[in-house]
Amino acid sequence: MFENRAIGLALVLPAAIFAAALFLLPVGILLSEAFRTETGWSLSAYGEFFASPRNQTVFFRTLKLATLVAAVSAVIGYAAAFAIVSLPPTSRGRMFGLVTLPLMISPVARTYAWLVILGRTGFVNQILVDLGLIETPIRILFTETAVFIGLLQLFLPLMIISLVSAMENMPRDAVPAARILGANWLQVFWKVILPLTREGLVIGGTLVFTGSMTAYITPAILGGSKVLMLETLLYQRVTVANDFVAASVIAMILIVMSFSANLLLKRLATARKSR
Amino acid sequence: MNSRLSTWIILGLTLTFLIGPFLIIIAAALSAGNNLAFPPQGLSLKWFIKVFEVESFRASFGVSMFLAIFGTLAALVLGIPAAYAMTRFKVPGAETVKLIVSSPIIVPGIIVGLALLQYFVIPLGVGIGLALFLAHTALILPYAVRVVSASMENLRVDMEEAALMLGCTRFGAFRRIVLPNIRGGVLAAFILGFVTSFNQVPVSLFLSGPGLRTLPIDMIAYMEINYDPSVAALSALLAFMSIGIVFAAERFIGLSRYV
Repeated sequence: MFENRAIGLALVLPAAIFAAALFLLPVGILLSEAFRTETGWSLSAYGEFFASPRNQTVFFRTLKLATLVAAVSAVIGYAAAFAIVSLPPTSRGRMFGLVTLPLMISPVARTYAWLVILGRTGFVNQILVDLGLIETPIRILFTETAVFIGLLQLFLPLMIISLVSAMENMPRDAVPAARILGANWLQVFWKVILPLTREGLVIGGTLVFTGSMTAYITPAILGGSKVLMLETLLYQRVTVANDFVAASVIAMILIVMSFSANLLLKRLATARKSR
Repeated sequence: MNSRLSTWIILGLTLTFLIGPFLIIIAAALSAGNNLAFPPQGLSLKWFIKVFEVESFRASFGVSMFLAIFGTLAALVLGIPAAYAMTRFKVPGAETVKLIVSSPIIVPGIIVGLALLQYFVIPLGVGIGLALFLAHTALILPYAVRVVSASMENLRVDMEEAALMLGCTRFGAFRRIVLPNIRGGVLAAFILGFVTSFNQVPVSLFLSGPGLRTLPIDMIAYMEINYDPSVAALSALLAFMSIGIVFAAERFIGLSRYV
């Protein structure tokens, strides 16, 4: 550690000023937009925003979908992570690589695939018609189901990664020991695996939840204007109605959510380091 | 319960869900028909060729490449000194600085794009191209600082101190001792930044116009109007590009050690 504070500051300042000028300042002004009225400062914009039934629908839908995606990815994530950890080391590494592979692919490409699969003439509809389960193609695209599937596929890898690393830190004998002592698989999960991987679950859950909350591409392509989420609502309010007050309120909701998730993760990280 | 069997069933289903759609895209892109469909109607490479003939794709590919390369380089120019200072000097208010520099990750991209457009581009009359460049630089800055910091922390300070004692200037010590030793971290930061910038949509959403679009934005615009497999072909090509870059990086510098 060098003592010279002036040099240190001089080296840090360009980056800090850059981020402050291009990020904090413009975003700060946008956030203040909702509090400014002709007569002074007020919270009325928030009241007005939440008074609108459409905004309420979008707000609760976003929360609902993000929660659902986090919950379902936790269920699948536990099964997949447990399966990956129980593999021999070489195939474990390979499988881990395959699971993280989608993270490197552009979200646009990954979302686009669902158009082919879920569209009116898509793969799923063809199979359903061929099997005689339905007479005419059903609409899957532009429903909450489509957005849910898209988000789940987008964020599931993050959950699996978090759970795999949590399970790798689990004492190796914990599960066999519990089994020998007569616990069934449900008991093993509740009493052994879950408590020992809680941190990984929280990390994965937070990443998936905030990721789904703040996703734009998936709801835009798979939900369209029929299934608006907060980000697509923001885009629509600005481009259609030039409504910066609504944009400001939505921005505040998303930033508060994202920021608190980040704080939580940071606290977990420091708690782990100090242990 | 046969646990080996259930392990492979679970993994098979998970991988089908995660990677299957991508295989379907490749299959749909190989179609000889004119509409997006799976299974494809006949096989041909024509959509892969068509991608290179679409004028707007060529232009927006150039824009995205430029942003990804030079935005990341600019972020490194800002980020390396900052990372060096934060790991080597007692910087007053270091926590605040860290928070400011990492804010671009916390704030959702669409908000950043909108705020820049409304309160920076429009009032100051900044060109949209410059704004895109600055936005992408700011977006990558947190990754650059974090990855480079991590590899600086692993580098022992006494080597630099030895160089200083032997009469090297501080900049000389940085150039001759620190830089060569953090090369892998810098390269990892560059690759991470490149892929992040190239795939980025929300930040660019408000900062794109008819004349200037990044490739992902252009793809979204194209698929809203056309229903042919060219976006599938382009998606497949881009995916292979990203995967190729990351795999090469993993092989040659061990990318996963840094991120």
